[in-house]
Amino acid sequence: MTDFLNYRHFPVYSVMALFLGGFLIIVLGNKKVLRNILAVLSVSVSLACMLALIKPVMIDGEIITYWLGNRSIAGGYAIGIALEVDALSLFFGLLISTAVFVSCIYSIQYMANDRNVSQYYTLFLMLSGGVIGLVLSGDIFNMFIMVEILTFAAVALTAFRNEAFGALEAAFKYLVVGCMGSTCILTGTIMLYAQAHTLNFAQLSALIPGNITTSGKIAFALLIVGFATKAFLVPFHPLAADAHGAAPAPVSVLISGVLTKSGIYGIIRLTYFLFQTISQSSFRLLLVTVGSVSMFVCVTMALAQHDFKRLLAFHSISQIGYVLTAVGLCSALGFSAGIYHAMNHTLFKGLLFLTAGAVLHETGTTNLDDLGGLSKKMPFTTALFLIGAFSISGIPPFNGFASKWMIYQACYQKAVETGHFGYLLVTIICLVTSILTLASFVKVSQSVFFGRLPEKYEGVKEVPFGMRFAMGIFAVLCIVTGLFPDLVGKYLTHPASAAAFNANAYIDAAFGEGYASSMLGPFASAAQDVVFDTAGVWSPVSWLILMMIALIAVTIAAVSGKYEKCSAAPEEVTDPKHELFFGGEKNRFSQVGGSDLFWGFKYNWRHYFSGMHDLHSGVLNDYALWAVVALALAMFFMLIVL
Amino acid sequence: MSVIISTLMYLGFILIFPGFLFCFFCGMLLCGIERKIVARMQKRVGPPILQPWYDFFKLCGKETIIPTAANKKVFLFAPVIGLAALVVIQLFIPVFGFTAFSGNADIIVILYLLLVPALAEIFGASASGSPYAGIGLSREMVTIISCELPLVLVLLAVGKAVGNAVGTGVCFSLQTIAEYQIEKGSLIKQFSMIPAAAAFLLVIPGEIGSHPFDTAEAETEICEGMLAEYSGPPLAINKLSHAVKMFTMTSLFCALFLGGLGVGIMTVDALIVLGLSIIITVCVVALINAATARLKIEQLFKYYWTFVSGLAALSLILAWFGL
Repeated sequence: MTDFLNYRHFPVYSVMALFLGGFLIIVLGNKKVLRNILAVLSVSVSLACMLALIKPVMIDGEIITYWLGNRSIAGGYAIGIALEVDALSLFFGLLISTAVFVSCIYSIQYMANDRNVSQYYTLFLMLSGGVIGLVLSGDIFNMFIMVEILTFAAVALTAFRNEAFGALEAAFKYLVVGCMGSTCILTGTIMLYAQAHTLNFAQLSALIPGNITTSGKIAFALLIVGFATKAFLVPFHPLAADAHGAAPAPVSVLISGVLTKSGIYGIIRLTYFLFQTISQSSFRLLLVTVGSVSMFVCVTMALAQHDFKRLLAFHSISQIGYVLTAVGLCSALGFSAGIYHAMNHTLFKGLLFLTAGAVLHETGTTNLDDLGGLSKKMPFTTALFLIGAFSISGIPPFNGFASKWMIYQACYQKAVETGHFGYLLVTIICLVTSILTLASFVKVSQSVFFGRLPEKYEGVKEVPFGMRFAMGIFAVLCIVTGLFPDLVGKYLTHPASAAAFNANAYIDAAFGEGYASSMLGPFASAAQDVVFDTAGVWSPVSWLILMMIALIAVTIAAVSGKYEKCSAAPEEVTDPKHELFFGGEKNRFSQVGGSDLFWGFKYNWRHYFSGMHDLHSGVLNDYALWAVVALALAMFFMLIVL
Repeated sequence: MSVIISTLMYLGFILIFPGFLFCFFCGMLLCGIERKIVARMQKRVGPPILQPWYDFFKLCGKETIIPTAANKKVFLFAPVIGLAALVVIQLFIPVFGFTAFSGNADIIVILYLLLVPALAEIFGASASGSPYAGIGLSREMVTIISCELPLVLVLLAVGKAVGNAVGTGVCFSLQTIAEYQIEKGSLIKQFSMIPAAAAFLLVIPGEIGSHPFDTAEAETEICEGMLAEYSGPPLAINKLSHAVKMFTMTSLFCALFLGGLGVGIMTVDALIVLGLSIIITVCVVALINAATARLKIEQLFKYYWTFVSGLAALSLILAWFGL
């Protein structure tokens, strides 16, 4: 009986709980309370299973191989379905289940007034289960199945509020290009199966790397492009913007924080394990190039947006660009930095999407040119938005800085090590992208939370407790992961990067000791220790000092009495000295909105922006064409260069 | 007992030297000298050197008026946070051999900490609800973006040059940069670092917003932009921050390019840094300030991303090839 509680079963429980919850809700879901309890219960079970695995997998370094139905290996080939959980899988599983948990809590009150909420929860749990299943799966065909499940759930959720303008269109675009991606993955899988006669990931990783044929290269191109569509890397980024703009906020959290991670996870598995092509410098350069192009193009696209959620969507891809760049460097520092940033991205982007959802929930719009001055009505949301905005733009006391700082170091070290000019350029792009990110969040804060409050929003209230609680979890996590990078490194990113650089252990865990070296022969890569030096120093103590000084200064200023005596205007008395200064003109409503900002910058870049405007036509045919061209280029690269 | 002494020592660092009081004194002094020089170049008598002090204490005694449209808390406390951040930066910048909190920060951290005071000002202005402040903060942000590219290139060039010499390939630690200069002499003596130093000097007026780069404040045009609604003590703190930022930027220049000029005695070193800061302020802030008229924001952006960045990039390329 107690065998059921053995931690080896936990991976499958965490996937099962979500799917089971999803189906039960559709059966029993007419009762509102029961439905909510079921949803929260299943995501909590999933999260708890993941947390319980930290001890054996992260700390003790065990790799759990779980054969479903106990069908394992026969005649040297894996015939059963396997779940294989190493530290890398668990790392992604943990951050995904955390994001799922928080956005489920947020959904309870956010979706309370929608129709068909039980279908919403079913799709929500299918999407979550799909992503967790993908990262825990040890079988490439199951990865494809999970990709299908999550794509269709995500498409349906994008169009969930289909009475809203553009929702169906966004979902259709996503469906078409998402299906092209899924088809690529399926075709690639078939070609690999034809070559190696197995679908097990560990066995493929042992058979393929020493023996990459032409069809193997084509399969690789197909798989990479397929997972790139899931991560919305350039040139698939326009879909993300439409999807995020239409989807409800908790779903945006999943699409941005969770679904894109599954794409990144797939790319890591393919390049570090299955094909092990990451050891070739030309391939590293490809990943870094795609990463930095995504980073830069999407941050400039974000600067031009007029809608809160679309802006966040572009930033999401920009941050994924950072992750891909860092991972593509293939150095211990770079990889740790990349997955650290992946985690931070889930946290701060989740927080930002939830604050956008809060604004939408209370005001009914996310248009940056209509809003303003909400900080007076929604102080809590504003404070959390600022935490998220500082985190994403890499301002020192928050987590975004801690990981970006490592990425800068990793890029520059790589540049100096290899003497390659491209990496130097990438370092500069990383640093400049960060400041452009900051600029666009200054724009959001000015046009949504500060500035003047339009009269029609006088009645706006703070969001209900459940939503504030969910946002609070993300905010606390943002601060904690920023304050203790050493702990995060020790228990999360360090084991995960060690796992990524040790493909042999992953293979041996499934097929017994020595299998990897016997099959791979000279291609077997020795396990690397994850040790790195940083060129600079940055200890969190220094921001504790910063906080202390800020606190002292604020206290002195507040206590000195000057601030207490300042004459704030009572609400009803209208003394003209409390009105805004208009140079003697009549005081009337005027707000500097989102599209009025940063003129000097936009003017100098006008040709770039108008080019971008023409390229992003919004026509699905164009985007599908981009996907085909990207696939063709990837195949060309694999065949000619690799 | 030793815990108490070290706590007192750190408090001394934070509040007196090289922290708050030292910054206050130096910043105000630089500000006074700059105003005097500008006045003399325009054939005016100019205010006494102590005028910034008088202004500061006078403003502290004035009433603070908060507009009805403003978010009170952010409006009042943003300037304080900005000032605190400047003090923190000062603690990380080495005074030749001496650093208050050694080994805690590198130049990338400084690069991003430098954003905090500007951000505090932006958010404070944004919270006031004034359209003038809105235009001002938009221009301020563009100015920040403009200065960022040259700064990034300069810092990478310095990191590469010192890293080459130390043998680690790349070095961002301020402490190591200071030690290297004490051993081998100032970086500015290296041929490859001269364009970078020039670029950094040109960034200083942009960062502190003096003529011709004061587009964000533009008194005659948008009523001091971000400061339009401030009055009383918060305005005093904002003015103080501007003064302190002048000292921060100049002492950062000293730390990066003029290191190794110290004699090893802390007080004397501090005075040397102050003297160098005054010279830099007079040369690149006061003289340019008096001699130029305000640029438009798009001209400012273009200037920094072409000419100044070009200088910095030249230096980076020279350092890259180890010249």
